[in-house]
Amino acid sequence: MTEPTSPVSLFDGYRRGAAWDEMVAEDGVPRTPYKAVHHTLRSISAGTLKDRADTLARNYIDQGVTFDHAGVERPFPLDAVPRVLSAHEWQIIESGVAQRVSALEAFLDDVYSREGDVPRCVHEGVVPWSLIASSTHYHRAVMGIRPTNGVRVHVSGVDLIRDEAGVFRVLEDNVRVPSGVSYVIANRRAMANVFPEAFSTMRIRPVSDYPRMLLAALRRAAPDGATDPTVVVLTPGVYNSAYFEHALLARMMGVELVEGRDLVCVSGQVRMRTTHGDRPVDVIYRRVDDDFLDPVHFRGDSVLGCAGLVSAMRAGRVTVANALGNGVADDKLIYTYVPDLIRFYLGEDPILPNVETHRCAEPGALAHVLDHLDEMVVKPVDGSGGKGLVVGPRADGATLDTLRAALEGDPRGWIAQPVVQLSTVPTFIDGALVPRHVDLRPFAVNDGERIRVLPGGLTRVALPEGELVVNSSQGGGSKDTWVLAGRDTRTSSPEPLRAGAEMREVVVMSAPTASPEDSMRAQQQQQQQTRITEGGAPC
Amino acid sequence: MLSRIAESLFWIGRHIERADGTARIVDVLRLQLLEDPGANEKEVSRTTLAVMGATHADGAGYAEVGQLLVFDAGYSSSIGGAWTAARENARRARQTLSTELWEAINTTWHRWHNFGQSAVTERHLSWTRERAALISGVADSTMSHDEAWDFLVLGRSLERADMTARLVAAGGLPRGGAPWSVVLSSCGAHQAFMRSQRGLLSDDRAAAFLVLDRAFPRSVYFALREAEGRLAALDPQDGRTAITDEARRQLGRVRTELEFRPVAEVLHDLPGQMQRVQLAVTAAAFAVGSRYFQTGPLPEWTEELI
Amino acid sequence: MRRYRILHTTTLTYDVPVRSAHNELRMTPINEPGQTTLENRIRIRPLTWSTVYRDHFGTHVTSMESLPAHDRLTIEAISTVERADPAEWPFSPGWAALADPTVQDRHFEWLMVTSRTRPGAGIADLAAGVRDRATPRDAALALAEQLRAEMTYRAGVTGVQSSGEQAWAEKSGVCQDFVHVTIGALRSLGIPARYVSGYLVPKRDAEVGDTATGESHAWVELWDGGWIPIDPTNGAPVGADHVVVARGRDYDDVSPFKGVYSGAGTAILTVAVTFTRLA
Repeated sequence: MTEPTSPVSLFDGYRRGAAWDEMVAEDGVPRTPYKAVHHTLRSISAGTLKDRADTLARNYIDQGVTFDHAGVERPFPLDAVPRVLSAHEWQIIESGVAQRVSALEAFLDDVYSREGDVPRCVHEGVVPWSLIASSTHYHRAVMGIRPTNGVRVHVSGVDLIRDEAGVFRVLEDNVRVPSGVSYVIANRRAMANVFPEAFSTMRIRPVSDYPRMLLAALRRAAPDGATDPTVVVLTPGVYNSAYFEHALLARMMGVELVEGRDLVCVSGQVRMRTTHGDRPVDVIYRRVDDDFLDPVHFRGDSVLGCAGLVSAMRAGRVTVANALGNGVADDKLIYTYVPDLIRFYLGEDPILPNVETHRCAEPGALAHVLDHLDEMVVKPVDGSGGKGLVVGPRADGATLDTLRAALEGDPRGWIAQPVVQLSTVPTFIDGALVPRHVDLRPFAVNDGERIRVLPGGLTRVALPEGELVVNSSQGGGSKDTWVLAGRDTRTSSPEPLRAGAEMREVVVMSAPTASPEDSMRAQQQQQQQTRITEGGAPC
Repeated sequence: MLSRIAESLFWIGRHIERADGTARIVDVLRLQLLEDPGANEKEVSRTTLAVMGATHADGAGYAEVGQLLVFDAGYSSSIGGAWTAARENARRARQTLSTELWEAINTTWHRWHNFGQSAVTERHLSWTRERAALISGVADSTMSHDEAWDFLVLGRSLERADMTARLVAAGGLPRGGAPWSVVLSSCGAHQAFMRSQRGLLSDDRAAAFLVLDRAFPRSVYFALREAEGRLAALDPQDGRTAITDEARRQLGRVRTELEFRPVAEVLHDLPGQMQRVQLAVTAAAFAVGSRYFQTGPLPEWTEELI
Repeated sequence: MRRYRILHTTTLTYDVPVRSAHNELRMTPINEPGQTTLENRIRIRPLTWSTVYRDHFGTHVTSMESLPAHDRLTIEAISTVERADPAEWPFSPGWAALADPTVQDRHFEWLMVTSRTRPGAGIADLAAGVRDRATPRDAALALAEQLRAEMTYRAGVTGVQSSGEQAWAEKSGVCQDFVHVTIGALRSLGIPARYVSGYLVPKRDAEVGDTATGESHAWVELWDGGWIPIDPTNGAPVGADHVVVARGRDYDDVSPFKGVYSGAGTAILTVAVTFTRLA
């Protein structure tokens, strides 16, 4: 009898590139956080993995977990191979993100609630005034408005990448209307259904707590005097590409999902139109851009917002989360100053470094960038979602020429960064595991006392080989992100239903008795009571 | 609940029922032409259009009526128009509908577009009635019978009262009217009528059945009472001495007229009575809009700079 | 010192009633060295709610709400203002100060090119022609004089939405246009310049108790060691007869009335300003 040939391992032919591979080190040995996943992947066949991947896709289609790409609703792409972060790695990310958000909060307060002519950071020479004053997101209409509990960045998404040395760096801050957390929740649910064994053997920190965390922070941001604050989620409507997320969050927080036309401002107070008359609204978690929020001050044709909203904010009768005008803090030029802002406002050194960035507004930097255009990633200051971004090494001559002209014409409008080889994680494509570049967007919630970072976040994958642009609006993929619990972190099974230990009695249902033996058995079962102890508060 | 969502649910109820009702009315026309070779196609078609409140150039035949009332996507009272409007409203109110209800409406809309759109066949009409029944059933069994469901059923029953009134008007016309056996069949009432009337079919009895029967769910009376019931559920505190809700008053008045008038009087002026029902339904719908939906044009902001 | 009572009435009449009007009014003279606003009341009919605040540029703003349907909106701003005789202009640090990057940065908002103040064709030449003056203020005064020579004061050619470029192309406009063109030219020379809106008393030598009708007015302040006001439209010195209401980068920051209303009605606007000398 011949021995059955050993099955082909999914890792056969796995070729790391120059980038830091998160799973496989230089010597081919799996890194510690990935040991369990690596072991599993090595022992299953491509066919099995494909089945699981297909199940994931099918689940998403059925549930309607979709993303609007170029006007077409497509299932959100989730790769079967998760990304894993150790407790130690997470600790750095968590504290670094919280530190960054703290500094941005202080910066925004300095800009919008300042006493003097110019913000302190300008007065002390940390940031030029022109940078703030020229930002299209610097909204003079909200100057002087200070939110009730001082929080302006209730929700933030700080995009991180890992460089060739494995160091996490901040790529971009997002403090206006960051999106993607619904996919984090959906991805986790999907993976837990399709790979339950992983969750029982590994201690993965849960993400299901996010809606509760967000609601608590929003309630704490309510204006004074609102004893049981009414919170709403303001969405542009069903045709918005992120509508799925707006609806999911509203549903999971148990709050009303409203559109602009449901709201009206009366006597400086925001109210929503219900079948029982107008009800006051205290906190608006808005997923509508600044420009559309108040036709009195911004776009006069907007029906997505509520006329008089800014007056209501100024009167302290409503809290808008995230606050208006936050865009001045996630401007790509301000990004280059954030490490200085951290030192200035917090007196600390930044925990997470920036990616080296050249400001084309500076003549020396512009010259350097133009000289090395084909080695740089050049981004428009006012872009989002990767639009307008040019990756030098992959651009043709014509694109670079157009870019050169654009830079020379409007230097202030551009920044450039040397190409960083983003870290890679094995990704299941066309039946094989191949390395693909990833980034990470952790989500942070500021409740006024603490900035809590959701363990994990959205890992975005660039699906084409060698592609460094991972943003999903350009057609990328995603991975579930697992943060391993440390020794002193308590964790529970995948989807904890209740916080806190509870004794629960289960009464077994009786069936119609058909025979004496059945009757006796039924009686026994009725007398039997199963006690279930639920343990482990979510960390 | 949000006025906007309540309004969407109300209209879902109305549109689904309208699709159903329109299918029945077109079916009456179809059966008439089939069973009575002597019928004047143009005259009968014109009657059908008049009953629906639709207009068409002279000389419309079954084909034109079919195009307008079944396929014309631009005409909101056509079956195609109704499915589209229902789906649009369902999309907007998706968070409030049960998953099954949304899927039922969405699937209906998708499949309608797979039908051939050239000629109106029996299949189009019976399929429409089936889907409407399915959607109603799914709504009743998968949604909590709370305010949202109240608005859905309110819309449905108002539309049903209106549609049945039109059907009865079609049957009651002295010239170009449809035979009552045809009208009864289209309402799915033939069996029910036979059982309750012990098979004695006469024009008067058929009309009376469709207008006044207390037990048959498609009768005008039944639909009006159901609508009144939903209105009472939405506002249980309505006055002890008087009904203050305008919609309830409108419906109650016309329902009482039908209920307590001598049957012969009702039957004597059937078209007129049925038109009163339609007017009451329109007034009630408007009152519901004013009260619960604060219906008004979407604010169109005009900027002013001086 | 002069003391005036100013009554500024704005009436909007709509052909079809409108509702839910939300507006911002900049009709309150400010308090600062050289000008004291003793009293300011704004009467609005119909009015559901209002509140006041100071905007980014220091202007007093009244936010108002008129919710019920109306076909007429009346706003009366009544102010009692005391204007001191103009103070001495601060010493000029000369062109060198303007070249200092710190000065340029601090005055960034007053050096910005906005759509209203973008210089039109030929402005660059005009500006180049005065660059040889000893100080920025001399250059500004010379520039204003040349502009007055080229542009005619005429109402009806431009509108409230016009840009300086458009007015310059027509070589005519009202004070708003003269100011935009001047600001564009000054900024192109690197001189920080801002738009000032307010009132100009029509009769300079009015007797106490005299009442005269006038208009809102606009002029320029340029920075040359300090903020120096000039009036490019009529070339008169800015003194006790000018009352300051608002400052900004251009007209959009200072418009006396702006907002939205719900409805399709079109508005007919009438404005009347009367001045009474009290002291």
